[in-house]
Amino acid sequence: MSLYHTAQSIEASALGQTIRESTWLFPAIESTHLLALALLGGSVLILSLSVLGIGLKTAPAELYKSAHRYMNGAVIMLLITGILLGVSEPVKLYGRQAFWVKMISLALALALTYLAFNPLIRRGASGIGMRSVTALTMAAWLMVAMSGRWIGFS
Amino acid sequence: MIEGLVTKLAETPWSIGLHESLYMYAITESTHVMSIMLFVGTIAMVDLRLLGVSYTKVPVSQMLSRMLPWTIAGFVLLVITGGMLFLAIPVRTYHSLWFRLKCLMILIAAINIAVFTFKVEADKAKWDLGRVPRNSKICALVSLSAWACVIVFGRLIAYNWFDCDSINSEVLAQITGCPLDPG
Repeated sequence: MSLYHTAQSIEASALGQTIRESTWLFPAIESTHLLALALLGGSVLILSLSVLGIGLKTAPAELYKSAHRYMNGAVIMLLITGILLGVSEPVKLYGRQAFWVKMISLALALALTYLAFNPLIRRGASGIGMRSVTALTMAAWLMVAMSGRWIGFS
Repeated sequence: MIEGLVTKLAETPWSIGLHESLYMYAITESTHVMSIMLFVGTIAMVDLRLLGVSYTKVPVSQMLSRMLPWTIAGFVLLVITGGMLFLAIPVRTYHSLWFRLKCLMILIAAINIAVFTFKVEADKAKWDLGRVPRNSKICALVSLSAWACVIVFGRLIAYNWFDCDSINSEVLAQITGCPLDPG
């Protein structure tokens, strides 16, 4: 079965239909997606700005003890609401370039965050390498947010 | 009077240009959404500190002074892009129920900031690393709820459920300033 056919059968699913046919469901999920985006932004920024020396003077590893809960919570909420939004209109998404740009930058942002940024912060890393990883991670998440909003326009 | 002003605004070349441009409107709205991460994101982290639930090893005074420049940067971006979004669709936005509720929430958040700045944080030296007082927690909760509402109501402006042409109740006509359809 091709990817396009998979998108068609997801679109025909009961869950997809329920979200699509409801007046309030899609906007409610979308709003929750945005609230989680703000939380993700805050938790990534409080760590990044501290690493870059332009935020809190507290060590990033100390801030991480609080920030990682909000970061993980936001990522889980974003994935759940994002999947629900996608399930309601997968055929439309399949044809939109912005959607694929978002999925690629999302994979990159998740990999950078959980395989490089977070482990390095826990270890108390600093220096030019750590700053570069931080800048890349921030850029990747910005790309995800930007291309995400762009899906609605393309 | 505002009605006339908004109608005039809609006829300006700036408004028509933004409204009809292929990319400018989308770029503006995407920047508006990204700036939420900076503005509400930093506010949420500060509020979590003021609630006393997180970042408890960071002095309150440092949390406020070191994060505020970023919150202000986010605010400037949001006001510029928000102003442009209003300029692009002035009449519909002016009458939008969600836009009006969003403005009300911004007003509540602003009053809350004033109360915090002039009353609550005045003696923050006493609780910089100690137990957070109750009125600080209340301010943080009001802030978190108000800004969350601003995000949600802002997103809902895009939906036409309560546009002037579908208003059919006296109360809604009053709130939105729409003429009540005689038919």
